[in-house]
Amino acid sequence: MSPEPVDSPPTAPHRRWRTGPLWLALQLTLSGTLLLLFVVPIVALFTYAPAKDILSAARNVVVQETIWLTFLASGVAVLAAIVFGIPLGYLLARRAFPGKAVVESLVALPVVVPHLLVGLGLFFLVIPGTPVYRFTQEIGFPVYDTIWGVVLVMAFVSVPYTVLASELSFRAVDGRVLEAARSLGAGNAEVFLNVSFPIALRGIVAGLLLTWARAVSEIGGLLVIASFVYPAGPYSGPVTSTVSVYIYQLFQGGNLTDAAAVSSLFLLIAFALFLGVRLGERSGWVPWRGGQLEP
Amino acid sequence: MSHQWTVEGLETQLDRFHLGPVDLRLAPGNAIAVLGMSGAGKTTLLRTLAGFLKLKRGRILRDGVDISRWLPEERDLGYVPQGLGLMPHRTVLRNVRFPLEIRGRADTNRRTQELLDQFRLGELADRYPSRLSGGEQQRVAIARALAADPGLIVWDEPWQGLDVLARYELGLVLHELRETQRIPMVIVTHDPSLAFSIADSFLVLSAGRVREQCDALALLRSPVDAFVARFLGFENVFERPALESGPPGSFRTWLLEHSGPEGVAFPSPTLLSGPGTLPAWEGKVRSARPSPHGLVIEAVADNLVVTLRLPPPVSPPLPALGTGLRFGLDPSTVHPLGTRFGWEGGC
Repeated sequence: MSPEPVDSPPTAPHRRWRTGPLWLALQLTLSGTLLLLFVVPIVALFTYAPAKDILSAARNVVVQETIWLTFLASGVAVLAAIVFGIPLGYLLARRAFPGKAVVESLVALPVVVPHLLVGLGLFFLVIPGTPVYRFTQEIGFPVYDTIWGVVLVMAFVSVPYTVLASELSFRAVDGRVLEAARSLGAGNAEVFLNVSFPIALRGIVAGLLLTWARAVSEIGGLLVIASFVYPAGPYSGPVTSTVSVYIYQLFQGGNLTDAAAVSSLFLLIAFALFLGVRLGERSGWVPWRGGQLEP
Repeated sequence: MSHQWTVEGLETQLDRFHLGPVDLRLAPGNAIAVLGMSGAGKTTLLRTLAGFLKLKRGRILRDGVDISRWLPEERDLGYVPQGLGLMPHRTVLRNVRFPLEIRGRADTNRRTQELLDQFRLGELADRYPSRLSGGEQQRVAIARALAADPGLIVWDEPWQGLDVLARYELGLVLHELRETQRIPMVIVTHDPSLAFSIADSFLVLSAGRVREQCDALALLRSPVDAFVARFLGFENVFERPALESGPPGSFRTWLLEHSGPEGVAFPSPTLLSGPGTLPAWEGKVRSARPSPHGLVIEAVADNLVVTLRLPPPVSPPLPALGTGLRFGLDPSTVHPLGTRFGWEGGC
């Protein structure tokens, strides 16, 4: 039997749009719209602050102090996320216990509530005259208008991202791999260190990045509890503020150009950091690019 | 290290699923194949043996010592879960090393190398599990399980997802482990030929209860239910509801008379060319296909599809569809299903 002559390759025209250029165009249009939304305000910011203003902001000692404080405090917040957030995420992913739903809701709470509210709550707790104020003064961790206050607010609003990301990542680890590891002689702690944690690391790092991003962008709570930061603990410089509060103060004072310049400078720094991490992941030097992540 | 294992009246509860009671006895060199449909409790049994599920009743003894309350890491089992449980973030080498590292063994490097050589994994040592074929992954899993010198190998569907050659190879490996190292094994499998090549006894689970427990010969002699009959390769398995819901006829009536509470199973009937002494019926050819085991003919009699197998070689022409044929059944080869539960009256 000889094949019948074929005029055109057999196609299913009514299905072609699902794989063809139209589908690609749809994706590009939607993604492009979103990216435009991100980019336009930033472009506006940079237009308002010419390069020479950004440069002079970078050379300004006051600005440098605010950036240093912001990085220091957010760094401590990320440390807190590592020490306290990851274990909680593991607990939520691996254990069933009474009241788990309550704990999960508590973790989500800081993400939901307006952060001014968080600041107010802490404010009533730590203002001079309260027992907590006296206690924190005595043990050498004064909170009101110090870096510890900044860290506290930052941790409150940002650590949940690490908890949630770790919970999801730990939950995604195949339970059978963990059981095999235990049967091979590893106790619970060894399984955590050798198996769960390395496999979940990539997701956890993503959570830590979000935590850091959320921490440095915090302003609401800080305006209430630490709009001015006096030297204490790891911060020993002059009285300053976090970048966010500082920009807000510039804006309130009518220094629009300065506000735009400092904003632009900080945006550049943050962008460079994120880009660095992404390029690092792509080049494969980061430790969390384990075997399971190979394409 | 090989041990004497005894499981007495093991019962487990997992949510609403109840398993047991199960009794097992394993001497060095023994292998038990656990059979049963999905949800029968096979994996639950293995996870209970491995220490991941609490015993509700009963106990597990190793050389007479009750280890029922021991932690999974204390039991020295080579437990290989379904899907093998290889660590995706560790290379082949580091997977095999794992049990030795955990124990801080002085001979970690030497022993790892031995195992890599024994299972032909040397060249794959630096690969991640995701980059291995199914058979290679299986070899890593068994090498890793053996690294810790297990006293019992507990393997959930070792042959799952393997091609014919890899199955054959793995069968040889397990066989050798049993023969030379005398490590007892409990293996869940759906593969009859491999089960028979490894196991000297069988445990059939159904809805969490032991349906049958016996040696290979006894299992072959009389299938306890439709699942076992199909597992054993009976060509014809009819469950009771199917027999009861159809047009009446002499063949259907005869089968019902020979059925147990759950139905009936029988091997290929004999194709008759002339009169004989066997009970015989007429059927019509529905399909005829050649197979490695001979010519397989499906014939319809009383609306029931009967499968006949004529031993090879298969030579043309194949019977035409719709032609009539006559087949006879030796009553001694016909097994009623569901006539017993447990192994009291069985094998």
